[in-house]
Formats: sequence, structure tokens, C-alpha cells
Amino acid sequence: MMNPDELLAATEFPAAPTLATQRFKFTGSGSEYFRIWIVNLFLTVVTLGIYSAWAKVRRTRYFYDNTVLAGSSFDYHGTPASILRGRIVALLFFGAYTIAGMVSEVAGGIALLVLGLLFPWLIWKSLQFKLGNSSYRGIRFGFGGTARKAYFVYLLLPILSGLTLYLLAPLTHQRIKKFQHEHSRFGGNAFSFHAGAGGFYKIYLIVFVLAFCGMFAIGMVFGAPLAAIARTRAASVNPATLGLIAIFVLTLYAWVFLLLPLLHTMVQNLVWNNTRLGKHRFASNIGMRRMAWITATNLLGIVLTLGLFIPFAQVRAMKYRIESLTLLPGGSLDDVIAAAHENASATGEGVADLLDFDLSL
Amino acid sequence: MSVPAYYFDGKSSRRHAVRLAVNGQLAVLTGDADRECPLAELRVSERLSHGQRKVSFPDGAYLEILDATAFDAMLLDTRHRDSLVVRLQQSWRGTLAALCATAAILIVGYVYVLPAAANLAAKALPVSAERSIGREALAFLDKRMLSASSLPPERQQAIRERFMSLVPPLDGAPHHELVFRKSRVGPNAFALPSGQIVLTDEIVHLAGGDEAVVAILAHELGHLHERHLTRRVIQGSIIGIFATTLFGDVSALLANIPTAMLDLKYSRDAEREADDYAIAMLKKNGISPAALARVFEALEKAEKEKGGSPPYLSSHPSAAERIARIREAM
Repeated sequence: MMNPDELLAATEFPAAPTLATQRFKFTGSGSEYFRIWIVNLFLTVVTLGIYSAWAKVRRTRYFYDNTVLAGSSFDYHGTPASILRGRIVALLFFGAYTIAGMVSEVAGGIALLVLGLLFPWLIWKSLQFKLGNSSYRGIRFGFGGTARKAYFVYLLLPILSGLTLYLLAPLTHQRIKKFQHEHSRFGGNAFSFHAGAGGFYKIYLIVFVLAFCGMFAIGMVFGAPLAAIARTRAASVNPATLGLIAIFVLTLYAWVFLLLPLLHTMVQNLVWNNTRLGKHRFASNIGMRRMAWITATNLLGIVLTLGLFIPFAQVRAMKYRIESLTLLPGGSLDDVIAAAHENASATGEGVADLLDFDLSL
Repeated sequence: MSVPAYYFDGKSSRRHAVRLAVNGQLAVLTGDADRECPLAELRVSERLSHGQRKVSFPDGAYLEILDATAFDAMLLDTRHRDSLVVRLQQSWRGTLAALCATAAILIVGYVYVLPAAANLAAKALPVSAERSIGREALAFLDKRMLSASSLPPERQQAIRERFMSLVPPLDGAPHHELVFRKSRVGPNAFALPSGQIVLTDEIVHLAGGDEAVVAILAHELGHLHERHLTRRVIQGSIIGIFATTLFGDVSALLANIPTAMLDLKYSRDAEREADDYAIAMLKKNGISPAALARVFEALEKAEKEKGGSPPYLSSHPSAAERIARIREAM
């Protein structure tokens, strides 16, 4: 028998999470994010881009605040000032690279080399910044790792992969994910990663076969008319020919555009199904067809609305990805203890952002 | 009045069911955890219609508010005010105003501000900077598109002397040099940032008389004198940055389409400016601008025989429009 006080408490405070499976929830809405996005865009344009650092914080906070696990949401602590610093450094790098490229091919090559050498370090710093500024239930995440390992997975392995005609690409991908997950921690608890390279090779093989079959089919459809054009050998560029070539290229592009998220989806499922946080485990079950549908309709919406659909599209894709993730607790969620605090620099984060590098954690 | 909330102390992930009340300038927690903190030291997260509101303490502890309505009433009592940005993004009217203002700024910026700013910036840059950009351009083209000219040296010399004898319409024409080449891609003439004006044998034949050739050269000198290359590089980079921030995380190709489309207008504007420059130069030297019109007619005819491309996808204005402009100026 409960006394009135306990009864009141029971209605006001949702039931404490038990050891039952906890599904991640995303509570954000496209229309609210649209408003945030438009106001961010306006202020960024008016301030010639300076506000973009504040916009980034608002945007990230919105996504974190709306990602809910076991009744509590995530929190983002990055400050606009540190992100602005990162962006300025990124802009300087980018500007130097562009100018060097215009001065001469050699100078451009040297600039690219320098950027390439800096990149692993920047990604490493960016991971530290991103995780160090994320928290759940008041406990910060964190990222360890060493520069040596960062250079190994982000520089040496990609080079080796290129030298072996990308036969090592799936291995590289696996080592990158391993690096990202194994050096992440939540408070004093470390994440661990258990997916071997075999799973990555399987995914790449599936995508490769699909890509090949699709391109073969597209080639069959367009082959005859394109060959006919080539046979006439007319240097003539008439609109019908141009149109046909444009449709051919667009179809190829659309096919690749659909396959890429498929690859990401399979990798996300594989990675999270093999990630643990101490005794807690995760499960990710994103459906391929559903994800392909969301990607294709999002792209269509963005093109048809000249970009205004972007915030809706992002919320839609994010919601599906997050809500496909489940936590399988191996014990109470109450007993994680904070680790010693550490500071992270925003330089890496800014550069990775500007160069459009998706860390997809 | 008190508001139910979860309290996290920032040291462990344990959650404490508490009630938050305000007592004067002090926030008071009671329940699983007891704590007092001056209101001025607390930070309240921004209002959202979705997502939990949070109240952070200076030491990293925070509250997750469970009853948003009661919390709003409490904030009202403590005279907490949402920032302007938050009020703007929470109202559809504010959002619509921001959207219209953004569109207006982008359009005005594209049509007027960016070209004017790029013009100023280009003229402030020393010519030597532009020269250093294009030093290797001719060598690059020679490898891929051009070969040695088969025009007799006397003819080359005659064209060179004729053009050098003309006075440019504006003072301070940059140093330039004529280069004769044979083209593998049809009749063409173009100015390189290095100050070299490349004239292909094909366009010399197409133009016919010397006056028409000189008219083409005047147009190319216009590109150099008006610093079109530098201006378009500046304009293109700014648009590229905008497009990448807008569409970059959707698709890199999607980000490049608007950049390329928007650059076409600047390209056509540059051609018009160079035409005007050529008309002024011809007039100043007592040559009828009709010479330039004849070149465009001949080019159009050659183009038609190949089959043409639609004008809105073109980097140059249509021949008819350019000829009409010349006739107007005559």
C-alpha cells in the first residue's frame, strides 16, 4: 500500500529504468529544427559567417537535447568561442591551400602534402573535442588514443589501401572504427570494440556487387543510344545528345548516391552490434530499404525546395538512425563515475567541419 | 510552488528525484538530494518545444526538468527572459521574416555587392599577383589543346603591329603580349592571367580582315584590363563557401551545382563588359564596331553548323544579344 506522497512521486517521476532493454529515442521535430536552422542561417549571413560557431552549438545542442536514453537526454558543452577559433584556423589552412594551388602546381602539391600530414592529428583532436564536450547524466564522455595510432589508421593505412588497389579499404575502415570506439570512454568506463575485419569485407563485397550489377543494368539501357551517338562521330553538340548524356550521368550518380548510405548503414549496424561499454551492450537494426527510401526522398525534397527541406531531411534521417539503436544494459546505469576532467581544443573540430569530413560516431 | 526534476551531481551517473523551488534569490532542491544555489549562478538551457530543459550548476551538476509548464511559470516569476534569438526561432513569424531577409540579402549580395566587392579587391591586388597565378597556364594548354601556329610570320607581325598602334579606351592598360597558336578545339581567342592573349589560327581565318582580328584582341584586352579572372576567382570562392556551408553535408555534387550555375551569370557579365571595352577601344581609334559584330556573326554561323547549346546554360551571352548591343553603341 502506497501512501499519498509516494503515489504522487510515482506519477510525477517516470519509473526508474530497470535492466530492461533501453531504446534510444529522438524527440526533435523537423519544423522546430527548421526554425532554428533558418534563424541560424540568417544570423550567419548577416555576420559574414562569424555566427556559424554559435549556430553550430545551437544545432548540436538541439540534437543532443532531443536524444533520449532511459528518460535522460544527452548534453553538449562545446563553446562558440572555441569552435570559432577552430574555424579561423581551418579557414587559414584552406585559404593557404587555395592560394598555393593558384600560384603553381608544385606549391599546391606541397600544401596538399602538409594538409595531409596534419589531418590525422586534427581528426584525433577533433574526436577529443567532440567527446570531451558530450555528456549523459552529467558524466562526460572522453577520447584517449595517441597521435601514433591516429597517424597509423588515418594516414598509413589509407596510403597502403591506395597502393593495393583498395583491397585494404575494408580493413582500413575497420581499424578506423576500432580506433574511434576503443579509445572512447564514458566517465571512467571504456568502450570496447569487437568487430573483426571479416564483417567489413563482407559489407564491401555486397556493395561492390550491387554497384556492379546496377552499373551493368544502366549500361544496358543507355549503351545502345550512346553507342549510336559515338558511331556518327559528329562533333555536334545538339540538345538531345546533351540531355541523354546528362540523364546517363545522373542515373549513375543516383545509383552511387543510394549505395553510399547503404554502406554507412551496414557499417553502423555492424559497429554498434559489436560495441560494448563495460558490461552494457548495444544493438543497431537499421533497415536497408527504409534507409534507402529516406535518403532518396530526402534528396528529392531538398532539390525540389531549393534546400529548404534540408532541416526536415536531417531530422528525419537522424531520428531513424538514433531510434534504431538500443542499449542492452548489463547492470544499473546509475553507477558510472566521472573521470578526471580534461580539456580538448576545438581546432580539430573546426577543420574537420569545414573540410566536410564526417566522423559519423 | 515547486517543480519536479531529476538531479545529477556530475560525479556519478546516479539520478536523484528532487523538487526545485525558488526562495528569494536562491534555488532550493529537496528530495533525494539537498542543495541550495544562488539563481545568478545557474544557467538555464534555451526554450524548446521538444526536448528537455536543463538547469546547470557551476560545478557541472544539473537538473532535468520534468514539468515544463510549471517550470515556465517559475521562470516568469524569477524574471528570466529568453534571448532574442530564442524568441525569433520559437515564432513562425520571426522565422519567416528571417527567411525573407536572408533571401533578400543573398540576392542583393549576388547581384550587386559581391561583384562590386570583388572588383574593388581585384583592383587593389597588384597585377603581379595575378601574373604569378597563371604562369604555367600556357604550358599546360600547349600540352593539351594547342600547337604551333601555321600563320605566316609576316601576317603575325602585321596583326601585332596593328594592335599595338591602337590606344586603349582607359588609362593604365596592363602589359600584354600576343601569342599565336593552332587550336585543336576550333576557333578561339582568350586572355591568360599572365597577360598573354592567345589567338588561334582558326579564329584569324574566321574573322577575315585585320579590323575584325583587332576587334577580338580588344575584347580580350578588356578581360585583362577589367581584371575579370581575379574577380571571378574571388566571386567563385565566396559562392563556393556559401554553397558548401548550405548543402555540403547533403552532397558535394549538390553543393557544386549552384556554384557553377551562379558563376554563369558572372561569366556572361564579364563578356558584356569586355564587349563594351572593345567597342570603346574601336571607336576611339576610328574603327567601326561593326567589325566586332561581324566576328560574332561568323562565330554564330560556325556554331550553328555544329548544333548549339541552349543560351541559359551558356557562359557567353547569345550572339544576337551581343550584336544588338554593338549596333546600339554605334
